[in-house]
Amino acid sequence: MDLLGLSISAFIGRFAFSGYSSIGSPTLLRLTFAFCAIAVGFAILLGSLFAGSEQYYRLMLTVGLGFQAIGYFFIAFSHSLKSFDFVRRPKGYHMSFFFAPLVTAFIIPGNSIEHLIRSISFILLVYVSIETMASYMQTRKTSTLLLGSGLGLLATSELMAWYNFIFPGSIFYYIAISIKVAGFAMIFIPFSRFGMKSGLGRVNPQVGSGI
Amino acid sequence: MAYRTHVSIIADILLTAKEYSYEGRDNGATVTNLIRRANVPYQRLSSIVSQLTRSGLLQTIPDNSTKYRISDKGIEFLNAYTDFKDFAENFGLKV
Repeated sequence: MDLLGLSISAFIGRFAFSGYSSIGSPTLLRLTFAFCAIAVGFAILLGSLFAGSEQYYRLMLTVGLGFQAIGYFFIAFSHSLKSFDFVRRPKGYHMSFFFAPLVTAFIIPGNSIEHLIRSISFILLVYVSIETMASYMQTRKTSTLLLGSGLGLLATSELMAWYNFIFPGSIFYYIAISIKVAGFAMIFIPFSRFGMKSGLGRVNPQVGSGI
Repeated sequence: MAYRTHVSIIADILLTAKEYSYEGRDNGATVTNLIRRANVPYQRLSSIVSQLTRSGLLQTIPDNSTKYRISDKGIEFLNAYTDFKDFAENFGLKV
């Protein structure tokens, strides 16, 4: 399942990178960072299965989840740049962002780094999912709906994995992995169309050079 | 008016130049034509246009250096822009 997640996120990352090298859009660069970080996270999670000891397994699991959280952060960051008009806000508005960590302190457990990262991923994914669904309300594009639902499923999978913290060794972990792969599959459907059309984004990388 | 990215302004400029290059008006687009469509101030437009000319996406008409037409590279850029615009819009983002 990690391998499937790795291939899907690597495919989307490769496509976003070819877009960035063609037209030089910073949004596509952020999406490249996002999906590359998610792919690296999956690769590390895959590698953790071959870890020799329990200690190394835990370490690799935490690092892998950390990379995925970084990936989700970049997607959320792109949405925040689009949604918040940072230039025209009144003075003192930016200070409100400093209160965000105080809010998350109430919902993030401090005793396990792995679950702390999962909580951060959950918050980021819920935000991204809501933003994508809001875009769907405006554009009514099926692919946006699929993507929003996929991101929502990823958020649900993080929640399920978090429940594994409360009920260790339960079925929640396996449910979480299945939902995660289903989420990535839903994200992949709209992009498979682009991949077919452009030959995995093989646009001339020199097109937008110098812009 | 909704926020426009730098890439989308470039695409608007190239699209105008394309219309004036290939759709029966083969005499190229003037700076006024570009300003109207791209809706940017003159100074900003001139810097973008010189940037686009340097990178080979726009070219001046040989007998009139104040008119611009799109190059083949520019058309390729516009096609790529359309594809990746769709890609980003699926995420609810703008390229």
